[in-house]
Amino acid sequence: MSKKLVVNIIGWIFGLVWLVPFMGVFMTAIRPMDELLNGWWDFSSFHPSFNNFYQAWNHPTAPLSRGIPNSLIVATSATVLPLVIATMAGYYLARYRFPLKKLVYIVVVITLALPLQMVAIPLYEMLLKMNLLDSYIGLILLHTAWGTPWITFFMRNFFTTLPPQIEEAARIDGASDFKIFFKIAFPLSLPAIGSAAALQFTWVWSSFFLELITIYTPERFLATQRIPLMRGVYHVDWGVLSAAAIMVMMVPILVYLLLQKYYIRGMIGWSMK
Amino acid sequence: MAEVRLEHVWKIYDNGVEAVKDATFTVEDKEFVVLLGPSGCGKTTTLRMIAGLEEITKGTIYIDGKVVNDVEPKDRDIAMVFQNYALYPHMTVYENMAFGLRLRKFPKAEIDKRVKEAARILGIENLLDRKPRQLSGGQRQRVAVGRAIVRNPKVFLFDEPLSNLDAKLRVQMRAELKKLHHRLEATIVYVTHDQVEAMTMANKIVVIKDGVIQQIGDPHTIYNKPANKFVAGFIGSPPMNFINAKIIRGEGGLWVQTSGFKVKVPKEYEDALADYIDKDVTFGIRPENIYDKMFAYAPTPENTITGMVDVVEPLGSETILHVKVGDDLITAKVDPKTKAQEGQNIDLVLDMERMHVFDPETEKAVI
Repeated sequence: MSKKLVVNIIGWIFGLVWLVPFMGVFMTAIRPMDELLNGWWDFSSFHPSFNNFYQAWNHPTAPLSRGIPNSLIVATSATVLPLVIATMAGYYLARYRFPLKKLVYIVVVITLALPLQMVAIPLYEMLLKMNLLDSYIGLILLHTAWGTPWITFFMRNFFTTLPPQIEEAARIDGASDFKIFFKIAFPLSLPAIGSAAALQFTWVWSSFFLELITIYTPERFLATQRIPLMRGVYHVDWGVLSAAAIMVMMVPILVYLLLQKYYIRGMIGWSMK
Repeated sequence: MAEVRLEHVWKIYDNGVEAVKDATFTVEDKEFVVLLGPSGCGKTTTLRMIAGLEEITKGTIYIDGKVVNDVEPKDRDIAMVFQNYALYPHMTVYENMAFGLRLRKFPKAEIDKRVKEAARILGIENLLDRKPRQLSGGQRQRVAVGRAIVRNPKVFLFDEPLSNLDAKLRVQMRAELKKLHHRLEATIVYVTHDQVEAMTMANKIVVIKDGVIQQIGDPHTIYNKPANKFVAGFIGSPPMNFINAKIIRGEGGLWVQTSGFKVKVPKEYEDALADYIDKDVTFGIRPENIYDKMFAYAPTPENTITGMVDVVEPLGSETILHVKVGDDLITAKVDPKTKAQEGQNIDLVLDMERMHVFDPETEKAVI
């Protein structure tokens, strides 16, 4: 009983440490600046409004109304593309025998440990030579290349947990390799694909570094690139910045909620025991 | 329906493990053949090689007279029921059963007819819209069988299909599978480690140990004339008693002499034992061929032994006695009305017509 209480208290402390800064951002976003001068926890006067959100959405130099659709294009493409490639690759690694299989697997794992900053300059030069700088195609290709190894690793591990007999039964039933993948393995792996999609989407969505070095036409700026631009030279409007941060944050949270509902159903629905 | 023939089939894995060694046997048309052996003996590997799920290292497999070594599983015209059923979890029962027919481009009406017919035979008509997770173990088992029978294949392969069911259901499904075999007139290869399943269902049993076929025969032969000590010990429950003994010439003929008793060898076995006189042998007798003297049919001093009762296990329909005779512990399955009590002496009568003798070195049956 007392042990449970201690665990609960520790849980609450961690939860609050996590929540307090977020509350600060939220309060900054919905309240006028002069109310915050004594700290956001001072509620002696309280006039909430969505004005800052409106400002951020229609910002004169970096409107989120352009940034969020841009980010959606990139994040969706850079989620779907690596998922398609990596799910097939992971399946092949999990189920088939081929020469140098171990080596391929090791290379996949090694690329997981590679820091992005280390390859930034060669990547930049490559895009430059391919004439793909300052274009979404180039950026999507980079994110796809960066996402494919970890999703391959993740999906391969998932497929090894599926009983191979289900696929063998399909083989005996007359299914070709492609049919087995698309009719059996793929639907069975939807829970894992849902999890991978949520993670990859979040990472691409909140990515800043690759965008910074590859996209430089202001109209093409993604949501994450626009937030710092909302800061003036002489004056920082924290309210607008906070509102923009919250709006940008909302999208991956929505994606999580959407997919979580979906993959939990998948987990319960399709497990046999 | 068709015949399956294996000729000198080997399976050697990349790591050098020899899972199946020189397997040669024939499954006749419409025959129910059981591959029986302890886990890891290579019986499932053999089945998977027949299915085409496992490549064979050496040898030839024929189905319906055709070599199928390099034929894809789907083109072998076989159906397989897996131990864990391997139903497609995301499809309904109907879709599970129709899947193979759809892939083979059967017309819709024909698929519907076949699925419903199979469902009727198996009594799962009311489950067709359910997903596998909504079914009990027994129902899943039926769906797995249904998925196999809708295709009307030449050969059915069963891989321990009853081992995940509880004891009562297993007995019921055993009878149903046997009935189904008669009804479909199917050729069946069935893998199990359960000797009761093998004895009750098979036309022919192939006993396998460490990848080597030990004996092929009908259940009666396997039980009564085991080819070696392994088969003798594997079939029957409780297992056969094995006692170190010597064959000696004595009063009126040959006798079996052990550390604790001496019993006479029936006349008809004397010729077979001629080479073993004064030599060590393993004497074998099944617990069910040992009687409490009070209930024995023909007790004589020549077939009666005395020992001390160590443990009494009443099972209701019979009682198992563990009796210490000399240095040996003998198991006897006796009449439940026995008065035997732990710690007391008891006279046991051996049915010597049903004795077995094994060569202690080769472990092959002499009698």
